[in-house]
Amino acid sequence: MSVHAAQLSTASLTDSRLVVVSGKGGVGKTTVAAAIATAAADAGKRVLIVEVEQREGLAPLFGRPAIGYDEASLAPGIAGISVVPDEALTEYLQLFYGVGRIARPLLTGKAVEFATNTAPGLRDILLIGKVKEAENRRAGGSYVYDLIVLDAPPTGRLPRFLDAPRAVVELVQSGAIRQQAQGVLDMLLDPKRTRVVLVTLPEEMPVRETIEAAAAMREMGIALGPVVVNALSPQPFTTAQQRTLSKEGAAALLAEAADAGIDLTERAAEGVAAVASTHARRATAQRRALKELTASLDLSQIRLPALFTPQIGAAERRRLAAELVAQGAIA
Amino acid sequence: MSDLAAILREQHVIVCCGPGGVGKTTMAAALALRAADEGRTVIVCTIDPARRLAQSLGLDSLDSEPKPVPASAFKGRKPHGQLWAMMLDTKRTFDDMVLDLTTPERAQRIFDNSFYQHISSSLAGTQEYMAMEKLYELHEEGRWSLIVIDTPPTRSALDFLDAPKRLTDFLDSRFLRALLWPTIAAGKSTFKAFNVGARVMLRAATRITGSDLLSDVANFFSAFDGMYANFKHRAERVREMLGARRTSFVVVSSPQEASLREARFFVDRLRREQIPLGGVIVNRTHLAPPVLDDARDLAELAAKSGKAPLLAASLDVYASWQEIAEREARAVEDALGGGRMPALWGVPDFADDVHSVPALRRLSEHLLGPISVPS
Repeated sequence: MSVHAAQLSTASLTDSRLVVVSGKGGVGKTTVAAAIATAAADAGKRVLIVEVEQREGLAPLFGRPAIGYDEASLAPGIAGISVVPDEALTEYLQLFYGVGRIARPLLTGKAVEFATNTAPGLRDILLIGKVKEAENRRAGGSYVYDLIVLDAPPTGRLPRFLDAPRAVVELVQSGAIRQQAQGVLDMLLDPKRTRVVLVTLPEEMPVRETIEAAAAMREMGIALGPVVVNALSPQPFTTAQQRTLSKEGAAALLAEAADAGIDLTERAAEGVAAVASTHARRATAQRRALKELTASLDLSQIRLPALFTPQIGAAERRRLAAELVAQGAIA
Repeated sequence: MSDLAAILREQHVIVCCGPGGVGKTTMAAALALRAADEGRTVIVCTIDPARRLAQSLGLDSLDSEPKPVPASAFKGRKPHGQLWAMMLDTKRTFDDMVLDLTTPERAQRIFDNSFYQHISSSLAGTQEYMAMEKLYELHEEGRWSLIVIDTPPTRSALDFLDAPKRLTDFLDSRFLRALLWPTIAAGKSTFKAFNVGARVMLRAATRITGSDLLSDVANFFSAFDGMYANFKHRAERVREMLGARRTSFVVVSSPQEASLREARFFVDRLRREQIPLGGVIVNRTHLAPPVLDDARDLAELAAKSGKAPLLAASLDVYASWQEIAEREARAVEDALGGGRMPALWGVPDFADDVHSVPALRRLSEHLLGPISVPS
């Protein structure tokens, strides 16, 4: 089993039909989802990227103001859709009860809030049901999309989100709804079709949450892809240099400057040494977190560099996509 | 009030809010410690602290009871005032509120109800609401001169500020009653089509969830009946407290665009609601003191000389940090400028996780300068 899982996790993500991307809040999972979609499209796949819960993080990555409920092209080979519960519910009722879109005004606001808040998992089954519909959609005998990338809820909510169809299958004995939920469940539990990619920062808290989420996925029988470690800072200093920096600080820099005949004031040396040692400590702390991740989670890792741009847009998305290809996540 | 030192000295309530993953909990702890160091009796109520931060405050038992932070945590430098800490327990806070608002018999009926068990722990908005409810309780207790409260990392400011209203609306919604008792509603409603919709919904919900849930819901609302007025009144008083003069909201953000965008939502929303905004703390910035403006050139010289490898690498890092710091400053300006700029306080990335009282003090000293003890 573990050998099998390891093999799968090193295979290209484009071998799956659905890639579910999740991570602790603030780790950049949306950026990674967009980068995966971009790399897959570059490899010639027709990709649909799905946003749930209207997080609105996806649109700027494609230079768009917003992503709508109707599928629309975001970039060559990439379509995008934002799935919201009330739209999904309308579609669902239409599908199972023949309630037309004309009834939509009745189904907004309180009605949907009630339905999605009261019935545990109803919201989730609606969202994920829409994903399944897109995954299964065919035109002229072949799939419309080769790959669906789901920018899923954060890891804290992920197990419950992915568990919704199983709960429905257990609750509902027969009929169209059970059939639909069973279909979703089959998709999620098939390691050839679905893989979960967990995104983390090389920091203590996100790493711990990632390890926990991976355990939850395994318990649910859902296959995991590589872990993506995002925003890794470079470590330009050797261990010996780090020691010198922290022990001698500015004095070491001034000595080297004198040797090399470079004019450097004491004040400048102090400022530079402070920044350099902060950076070194940070890079070291990141590597410590990485070590913890490696020791606790037997999944291959994709390591993405820190981009140091406050704005993450189309250029950064493409840069990270290239990195995913270079590290073998997408072939 | 937009002077952080004055806020810590004079306010009664400080609410830390902002997007997830920006160090909000750490900031709440650092501010609370600072006020305690300077002589106030403070309680910090956190939502989901990193384990080591919790441990450093003596919270390893993850207790929802207020507890004084043990003397050993202060590493030989006891605060001039007092520091208490606690964790928010959403379900328990909800239970306590129900007990407070109704008779014990009715409360028991509510607790036994499986629908209540569901909403008290997982209904959207409950955690936000209970954070505010706990704040109100702490305020009513009157034992602390300053309450610092951390908030859940809800992605939208609306969720957080609307929570009391949304929950009371939800619990008091006529729609809900119509849905639960379609036959009663049919006689009263003037909108027939509405009930068609409601029945379809009910049927769909029943099919998906099984029918027990809906009868649970009906039972819950009958038990909850008569509590609405109290409940609503309470929510209004919480809202009043949030708008009061001795409350300040502090928005915490990172210098990343996505996080700043959410911070901007908070700022706008707080202003619209006339909730007093203290300012924005931009956490984990890259700080490069302005000591050189030709670092990149010098780095090249150092590298070429072959005699200064450490200097070359250090200057390179410094030059990058300078560029990053400039970009971050621009991002902050872009996101928060355009109109009235809120008060801004920057905190550099300390590289090590801030997990101990000394580290929290270092953070507060960066924000506010050396600790000054009242004479």
